[in-house]
Amino acid sequence: MSAHIRPARARTYAIPAVVLLLLLLAPAVIRNEYYLHVLVGVLFSAYLASAWNIVCGYTGQLSLGHAALCGIGGYISTLLFINIGLSPWVGMFLGASCATAAGVFVGYPCFRLRGPYFALTTIAFAEILRIWVDNTEEVFGVELRGAQGIMVPLKGQSPWLFQFTSKVPYYYIIIAMLLVVMAVTFWMERSRMGFYLKAIRADQDAAEALGINSTRYLLTAMALSSFLTALGGSFYAQYFRYINPERNMGLDLSIEVALMGIVGGQGTVLGPVLGAFLLTPAGEISRGFLGGKLMGLHLVIYGLVLVLAVLFLPKGLIQPIRQFFRRDSGGAQGPPGTAGRQDTRAPAA
Amino acid sequence: MALLEVQGINKAFGGLQAVKDLSFTLMPGEILGIIGPNGAGKTTAFNVIAGFFPPDSGTIRFKGENITGLRPWDISHRKIARTFQLSKPFGDLSVLENVMVGGFHHQGSRAAARRKAEEVLQFVGMAHQAFIEAHNLTATDRKRLELARCLATAPDLLLLDEVVAGATPAEAADMMDLIRRIRDGGVTILMVEHVMRVVMGLSHRVLVLHHGVTIATGEPRAVSRDPTVLKAYLGVQHVQPGNP
Repeated sequence: MSAHIRPARARTYAIPAVVLLLLLLAPAVIRNEYYLHVLVGVLFSAYLASAWNIVCGYTGQLSLGHAALCGIGGYISTLLFINIGLSPWVGMFLGASCATAAGVFVGYPCFRLRGPYFALTTIAFAEILRIWVDNTEEVFGVELRGAQGIMVPLKGQSPWLFQFTSKVPYYYIIIAMLLVVMAVTFWMERSRMGFYLKAIRADQDAAEALGINSTRYLLTAMALSSFLTALGGSFYAQYFRYINPERNMGLDLSIEVALMGIVGGQGTVLGPVLGAFLLTPAGEISRGFLGGKLMGLHLVIYGLVLVLAVLFLPKGLIQPIRQFFRRDSGGAQGPPGTAGRQDTRAPAA
Repeated sequence: MALLEVQGINKAFGGLQAVKDLSFTLMPGEILGIIGPNGAGKTTAFNVIAGFFPPDSGTIRFKGENITGLRPWDISHRKIARTFQLSKPFGDLSVLENVMVGGFHHQGSRAAARRKAEEVLQFVGMAHQAFIEAHNLTATDRKRLELARCLATAPDLLLLDEVVAGATPAEAADMMDLIRRIRDGGVTILMVEHVMRVVMGLSHRVLVLHHGVTIATGEPRAVSRDPTVLKAYLGVQHVQPGNP
């Protein structure tokens, strides 16, 4: 039994390890900055989708407002940098703390209810915030510059200020951030919290009867997800050195993030990453080749992919891959002899 | 001292008085069966005790502590566990993972939760099904799984809501045997059940509800001959005087 599992597990871990190795070596091979830029975009999407997955994938709640958290992170780290010269390395954690507070504020009333309230409230919250920033030139003497957005002042090569003249450091930073969020997900899934979240997702009444305070666990997941999402927002601001409400807080970004999680496979460590690796280039390519002629075609493609995924692979693209490898789960690994022929699990890794 | 004391519980939904002035006590180690026709208020009584609805009035004491109106998870942490009439497995988790959710109740460590879960699965006879996803189980096995999940929280009081409903006679006999073994392990049991053979065979005492009102309590044999009970179940014209 275990003899059959071990090679399969080794193989499953081997593929992400090889992909990671290739990614780490990529800057040495890729000389064209544009391709590196696309890769940063993919990794950034994978990061956001993974952070989204912590609350939405594991609890079954749908957030369509994660862009707002991303925007809060980007705006706060940038405004602190411009106005009081605080390094974005520090500012990003303050931004993330604010986003956590916002996430909990939005989650608290919704998680006490059953039904689609959370999804609706997250959309409303994100749109209100976007519209407010869009139309606010300054607040308490701090310039927000409304829809024009904010430029991050250029300081040249200065690692302490999160600014680099080359794209390569950003590339490695986002890889590190992605690895952190994946590690957090991996750890969470195997902990009591992961089990509790999955129980809540499957049946909230039954979970509560087993002693799980569902509101508390949902809020914890939301707080964690908000914090990580906002860190991503700060990264985005530093990388592009420009943020505006449309791109950083817009519904488009929220939907894209949710889509990558759903298409790739919610409630798994690798699913959202897979979703980002497939959907981001698809969007980039269709925009690049057809954008001028057929505006919005990439959105049609996104829509089609979503429809196909929901119809044929409701558990995400990761599902058939996982079945192929019969990967072992975060929860219950079969001790030799207990599973036997009835080992039909398709675990939630 | 009584383990559970229910005193004057009332619960209405709009104009419907689901439970009216329900009082009973449960001694440690006892099995109390609640029976009654459909809509008698049995499940409502359960939900009130388990914290799913607060009662309109009345008090519930467990080990002397007033637990009226506590939320389900607080009730659970006071060592009361319940099953559901329509079983609610965590369908996309394996049987073992389902039980581990209960096993995490008293300890944060995954290894400890798993040990507890394996021990419970052994006890209920589901060890060979540990790695099946719960939604692939038969209806009876789902009930058994729910029972296992409850046991993993190490309860002192177990509320069983129709655990043999829909079971074949052989499965029902297995379940009765399991319930006896649970009771022998020191767990007090309050059960709602429709299958008379099971209630009568297991319960030390039976409480009969009809339209939310307690119409009889006592030993199973005595209750089954009570004319009020027969009237509630069968209708007045079927109760022949002198031939209950």
